[in-house]
Formats: sequence, structure tokens, C-alpha cells
Amino acid sequence: MPRESYQAQLESMQEDVLYMSEVVIDRLRLALEAMEQKDYDAARDVIAGDDEVNDLYLELEQDCIDLLALQQPVAGDLRLIASSFKIITDLERVGDLAVNLGEYTLDAEHDMFPEVDINTIGDHTLEMLEDAMVAYEARDPDACYAIADHDDDLDTLCENASQSVVRDLIETELDPDESDEHVQALMQDVSRMLLTVRDLERIGDHAVNIAARTLYMVENDDELIY
Amino acid sequence: MSQTRQTTTGETEEQIRDEWLEYDFEGETALSVEDLDVYYGDDQALQSISMDIPEKSVTALIGPSGCGKSTFLRCLNRMNDRISAARVEGSVEFNGENIYADGVDLVELRKRIGMVFQHPNPFPKSIRDNISYGPRKHGDLDTGLVARLLGRDDRDEEEDLVERCLRGAALWDEVKDRLDDNALGLSGGQQQRLCIARALAVGPDVLLMDEPASALDPIATSKIEDLVEELAEDYTVVIVTHNMQQAARISDQTAVFLTGGELVEYGDTDQIFENPQSQRVEDYITGKFG
Repeated sequence: MPRESYQAQLESMQEDVLYMSEVVIDRLRLALEAMEQKDYDAARDVIAGDDEVNDLYLELEQDCIDLLALQQPVAGDLRLIASSFKIITDLERVGDLAVNLGEYTLDAEHDMFPEVDINTIGDHTLEMLEDAMVAYEARDPDACYAIADHDDDLDTLCENASQSVVRDLIETELDPDESDEHVQALMQDVSRMLLTVRDLERIGDHAVNIAARTLYMVENDDELIY
Repeated sequence: MSQTRQTTTGETEEQIRDEWLEYDFEGETALSVEDLDVYYGDDQALQSISMDIPEKSVTALIGPSGCGKSTFLRCLNRMNDRISAARVEGSVEFNGENIYADGVDLVELRKRIGMVFQHPNPFPKSIRDNISYGPRKHGDLDTGLVARLLGRDDRDEEEDLVERCLRGAALWDEVKDRLDDNALGLSGGQQQRLCIARALAVGPDVLLMDEPASALDPIATSKIEDLVEELAEDYTVVIVTHNMQQAARISDQTAVFLTGGELVEYGDTDQIFENPQSQRVEDYITGKFG
């Protein structure tokens, strides 16, 4: 087949995207475990690991730019590179959000809303991201649509969780003699919980973005992009 | 045979062909080709080509060497008539009339459908004469002798024509002070633009270009490419190119010919280069062909 070197570069780029996704998924899984088990060392590992994700992102970004500039890709090759270029941005953002989760874990000194099921939301989010990357690797359009459907379930879980936090806050009867420190800790706990839910919901959105770009890559179908 | 070909959409190539035969472009049709077959002796160079070419736009013809794209281009102003072994069947309608019908005036046809070749071929005359030669031959511009005999001065008319055509070919500013110099003293890129200006001088509707920039350096090529896009505001341009990026840059429609003289896919240029329907076209434009 002609242009063997070019084809090899395309394959290598795809493998590197998949490697980056494995690193990011590992970070997210570790962040969720750290949050569940209050494992501060694990949380610090997640935060420290963000540099690796950023480096992978910058290398892949340069690879995509080189392919565009030097090989003038068209058709399926062009869609592969354009989609991968967008997907690595989503992965990098998931890495940042995993860092946020690590920081929330380090900040969490109180557990005033234990009934909020962050673990279920986290598992759902992690599964969506894994499915999105499997769809990218397998070039599976049906899987892309399925991920978009799962996002509706995630949004519902997140909305219910946020409402639960706010409801509990409203229903919390503060003792007039309670110290300012206690009130402040309660407010921090509420905002940390709401931010956690928001960040997990955003990771789900990034998984949908990856599925949308994959669908475009495979079938030139932009239905999920907008 | 075509029914078994793979496509990127799961349809057969025949279904895809039916779709692009209905290809609906903006604007009016300048040239309408119907079931065009060309033979060189016993060899068939083009197989049943049908396509409509819209006016005032750039249509690129791409494909590997020997696929028949230059043969097709030459059919559009009957240049293949000059090849004795060539036989053309089918029809090419220009302004609603078949150019292969009996009694067509070939001189008039080629005036309306001009051609620019791969290598610049200016006449070994002055820049000015290169432009005015055609119109004089066609009688659209009086010769100096006639003008003198009639006591008329046609200099103004000639000056206007020369300036208009050289401006049209984006060459005026570079040569306006040396119109009487020999055209062979110009650079390759300037000579090619002079040939385009010369083609414009006889008032064509259509310009056929056969690899017009392939013998030029990148700067001269970019000037030709800019010019082609400008020309399409007033003329119908059909361009054969080996350079797929050039086709992608400057054309509105792209037709992909593949080996055997087959027109495999025809559509908007962005669709062809972003999402071709035929797997063979995808393989060709991504370089996997072969």
C-alpha cells in the first residue's frame, strides 16, 4: 500500500490517543476511589499525575498538527485526525476534573450529607468514559448513540443529588448558639458536594463529546455534535 | 461490475452513481455531457460519462494518469477531432446545442470554449500581439491595414482590449510598461497568465485548463490559483489537475475519474474531500490507491 509511513503515523496517533485515555481513566478511577475511601495519599497522587496527562495532550496535539500540515489528509483520514484533535481536548479536561475531585477529597473534613450517593454517579461517569473510548477504538456508531442516551440518566442522577443537598441544607436547623466555624464548615461542605456533582456531570458531557466526534469520524454524522 | 464495488455508505456504487447523476448544484448548467464514450482505435478511453457542469464556477477533474480526464476535457471543445484515431460517441450540450452535431462551426465553438495547456505556449510575438492576434483573426478587431485604408484608428479599441484581458489575467501591472516586448521574455508563470489573457481576448464563456500550473513554481502556481477563482466570477472554468490539494483549494465541484475511463464520483468539492461515497475514491484521494 502506498504512503506506508503516513498510514503508520495515523495508526500510531490513534494508539497514543487510546493510551492517553487509559491514563485519564485510571486517574478518574483513582480519584473516585480516593473520594469513597477518604484516601488522602491517593488523592494527592491524582493531583500530581496531572502533569503527565498535560504532557500527553501537548505531544498529541503536535502530532495532529504535523499530520495536517505535512500530509494534507482528506476524507476518512481527515475526519480521524480532526476528531482525535477534539477528543484529546476532552480527555485533558477530564484529567483536570479528576484533579478537582482529588482536591475536594483533601478538603473534605466533614461528612454532613452522607446520603448523597456520589459513588453511583461516579461509577456511571466512569463507565460512560470507558464506553466512549471503546467506541472510538472499535469505530462503533451504535455505541456512540448509546453513550448519548446514558448521559440523560447521568443528568437525572446529578440533578437529584444536587436537589437533595439543597433540600438538606434548607431542612438543617441551625442552633442559634452554633459557632461561626461550624456554619462555615457546613457551607464549605455544601459547595464541595455541589461542585463534585457538577464536575462528574461535566465528565459525562466530555464522554458524550468523545462519542459525538467518534460518530463524525466513522460516519461523517454530526448529529451528536450539536 | 460496479454493483459489487464497496462504498463508504453501504450502498452500491450504482446507487451512488444514481445519486450524483441527480447532483443538484447552484446556478445554471453550462455544459451537459450525456453518455460520452471515447475510443482510441480499439481502446475505450472514456466509458459512458454523464455530468452537468455549472456555469460561472470551477469544476476540477482529478484522477490517476491515464484515467481519461484530459481526454474528457478535450471532448468539451472537440479538440479530440484533431486525433484521427479518436472516436467520440454521446453528446455534449453547450447552451442547449450538441457540439457534436453536424455543421457545428469549430472555430466559433473554440472561441466560446477556450483552452489553456499545461505548458505555456505564447506566440513568439509581442505581449500586445499575443492578445490582439485572436480577435484580429476572427475579425473582431480590424487589422492596422484595414483601419488605415478606412481612415479609422483602431488603436484605442486594441489598447482597451489588451488592458482588459491582461487585467483579467492579473498580469497588467507586471507588463503594462513593456507591452511591445517579446512574450517569450516573460517568466513561466507570466507566460501562462498571458495565455489565459489570450484565451479571454476572443470572449469565451468557458475556459478549459489542462494542468495549467503543473510546470510552475509555488508562487506562480498560487497566482494562477487565485486567478482561476477570480475568473469563475465571469467564466465557467473546467480544470484538470494532478494536484488534489489544488483541486480542493480552488474548485467548487470535483469529478473523480479512475483507471479505465470511468467517472466514479462527482459532487461538491468539500463533500468529495471530506466524505466521498465511493470506497475507491476514498482510497484514491487518501493515497491508499494502488
